[in-house]
Amino acid sequence: MKKKILTLCMMLILAIVLAACGSNSTTSSTSGNGSSSYPERNITIVAPSGAGGGWDLTARSIAKIMSETKLVEKSITVENRAGGGGAVFMAEYATKEAANDYMLMTKSPPIIINNLKAEGNSPYGYKDTTPLAQLTKDYGAIVVKADSPFNSLTELLDAIKADPTSITLAGGSAPGSMDHLVGVLPAYAYGIDPKQVKYVSYDGGGEAIAALLGSNADVIATDASSIGEYVKSGDVKVLAVSSTERLTGDLKDVPTFKELGLDAEFTIWRGLFGPKEMSEEAFNYWTSKLNELVETDEWKSELERSGWQYEYRNAEEFTAFLQEQEAVIGDLLKALDMHK
Amino acid sequence: METISYLLDGFAVAFQFHNIMFALVGVIIGTAVGVLPGIGPMSGVALLIPVTATLTSGMPTEAAAASSIILLAGVYYGAMYGGSTTSILINTPGESSSVVTALDGYQMAQQGRAGAALSIAAIGSFAAGIISLIGLILLAKPLSDLALQFGPAEYFSLMLLGLCAVSGLAGKSMTKALIMTVVGLMLGTVGIDIVSGIARFTYDQPVLYGGFEFLTIAVGLFALGEVFKTILEEDGSAQSVTKIKRILPTKQDLKDSAMPITRGSLLGFFIGVLPGAGASIASFFSYITEKKLSKNPDSFGKGNIAGVAGPESANNAASGGAMIPLLTLGIPGSGTTAILMGAFIMYNVQPGPLLFDDHPEVAWGLIASMFIGNLILLLLNMPLVKVFAKIIQTPQKYLLPIIIAISFFGVYAVQYTTFDLYLLITCGFLGYILTKHDYPVAPLVLALVLGPMLENNMRRALTISNGDWSIFITQPLSLLFILIAVAWIIVPIILKLIGRKVIVTDEG
Repeated sequence: MKKKILTLCMMLILAIVLAACGSNSTTSSTSGNGSSSYPERNITIVAPSGAGGGWDLTARSIAKIMSETKLVEKSITVENRAGGGGAVFMAEYATKEAANDYMLMTKSPPIIINNLKAEGNSPYGYKDTTPLAQLTKDYGAIVVKADSPFNSLTELLDAIKADPTSITLAGGSAPGSMDHLVGVLPAYAYGIDPKQVKYVSYDGGGEAIAALLGSNADVIATDASSIGEYVKSGDVKVLAVSSTERLTGDLKDVPTFKELGLDAEFTIWRGLFGPKEMSEEAFNYWTSKLNELVETDEWKSELERSGWQYEYRNAEEFTAFLQEQEAVIGDLLKALDMHK
Repeated sequence: METISYLLDGFAVAFQFHNIMFALVGVIIGTAVGVLPGIGPMSGVALLIPVTATLTSGMPTEAAAASSIILLAGVYYGAMYGGSTTSILINTPGESSSVVTALDGYQMAQQGRAGAALSIAAIGSFAAGIISLIGLILLAKPLSDLALQFGPAEYFSLMLLGLCAVSGLAGKSMTKALIMTVVGLMLGTVGIDIVSGIARFTYDQPVLYGGFEFLTIAVGLFALGEVFKTILEEDGSAQSVTKIKRILPTKQDLKDSAMPITRGSLLGFFIGVLPGAGASIASFFSYITEKKLSKNPDSFGKGNIAGVAGPESANNAASGGAMIPLLTLGIPGSGTTAILMGAFIMYNVQPGPLLFDDHPEVAWGLIASMFIGNLILLLLNMPLVKVFAKIIQTPQKYLLPIIIAISFFGVYAVQYTTFDLYLLITCGFLGYILTKHDYPVAPLVLALVLGPMLENNMRRALTISNGDWSIFITQPLSLLFILIAVAWIIVPIILKLIGRKVIVTDEG
């Protein structure tokens, strides 16, 4: 028996030493990258949602074009960290990874919305990151299944007005976040109390589409760019988009909110963010690389393939734009009575 | 046919050189895992997830996912082959699914027919593997299409069914199994809530925002728990291994086992599809069936080859059948498939109705690789059975440190936090103490994986129904699942009350 206890102790010591090794290597890796040339190792871009959504596709496009054009020699991997409409990873990014130069994040209006909304508020906003660049813009879309009885947004809104409990709106983000906003905006403009609209949240746009196709949601609010392939395959009908002007491509026949007489619009900008305490070296590296990236032909054709529109703001412009957006979205949430 | 062209694409993936290597490595490790009494398929797969993540890190995501799932699944079904070896040679089952194999297998070995028993086990496993794969191919697409119609209410009830089934059968005491399920569900609520974004039970500790990582918990409870158990309880005396003489079975042996293999495969496959009922139950039922159908039931337990062929086929077929709910519904039915599901998610591949559409490379590549893997296993097991038998004699002093090292490096490679390493040690101790007192740990891990999904689907269902709970019983499929779930809990209780013996599964 004594021998067994001895063996157990040895194992424990081994275990704890291994655990301690881990902590040493973490500290050395974070403190060690100040002096030498960035990047020394592989880079991760996190899409804080499930696979297939707008953040995920943006992250994958950046990773793909950066390595295809050899702008970044180190390999870039995309990680999906779903949860809370991005809030789960945001908390980690603002705390645990605040000094990790090798972890970037793609994000869009929810970085502001989550920080301002009342229900499920995230204590972290864009100020807890280092904005690097805005890369694309996209719009929201109101989508129903191909065999849905609703053929226009007005018909749908009338049905919601008559009995809000009869229509289930689904989206890939948390209540109060972007898909929800896109969904209730036209309803609000139509004179429906946004709180009456029944909203079911899924993990990412992909799951929301699956719910729509399986008839478990009557209508979904999602990104205009990600719905194109389902329009082509004839599975869904897009009732309206949130842009100011008609879109091109698969959605060219879809009216805008404005055309339908609804005073509402919503632009989904997407950008790349670095950690809050990003080193200057890494910051300079990425701002110049992104500057080069958006000029390449590969990037432009990638945007076309994905149905996104080109809109580039560099780090400085982007930060100013975010400030502006914070005020705009804040007003919107106040109008909807969803501000914190 | 569409399915055939998908399958051919799958073979194109599986026949890539590196994927053949992944399948080969997977099944060899799986066989070793099956042979070694210390580690089961669950800890084997959990330990290898981080290793494969590192191996495939340079590959494109889709291909990396396909390759590592191929390896991990290889470990899973490979373990079913290996489990028979120890049962037959030293009367000590390596896995709980091979317990009944020992009854006749060891007797055969005593009579000098160890080789025949081992090779019949391998042949039976192979036949079962192929039969269950054909079933998987035929059922995958229709089931996926059906699953697409599942709403949140159906998903909720189906997951509830999975949890009840595992709790109803795991371990000796259902109360203890249910306690473990509830603990798992509770642990699953820690972290930022996926639907609302509100932090729950995190006490403002950033490490808890993401919740408890299931890999850490699984490796701790299973792998480290086993290590601690072995250190404290193994008496260290070497077991004598029966010598293997003739390997190939005689014509008569083959004739005697043909029907048991067929019956065992079909039985095992259908039992495997049911959530909660795993390989152990499949092999047990097969043994009983063979004994009932046999012309001379008295010869069972005295070295009847049908008592080896049937159960060994059944446990392998069950492991194939268990892949069905995982791949098509995205719902693991057992501890090992829950861990496999964790691996899928790590690669951003969501198992479920959209898997076959969104990631055909992974889904069909995996299925095709299982054909190859089973063939490799047959080819390896026949001539190399003597080599695998040697693994039994691996001294613990080498084995245990290796398991510990892989556990720690593995968890750290995936999580990059020291918090998870301390959590790992804690779980290791808990794993030992819980298992020692008959608290099964498989329900805990399954509940940890299913808990958040269960909760979100419940909330979605209630939103759709405007807060009306009756949605769970007014939807016909949902009602059906709930009724079966209740039956899983009630029937064993009734059986116990009327004094019948209830079969339990330890493997989860």
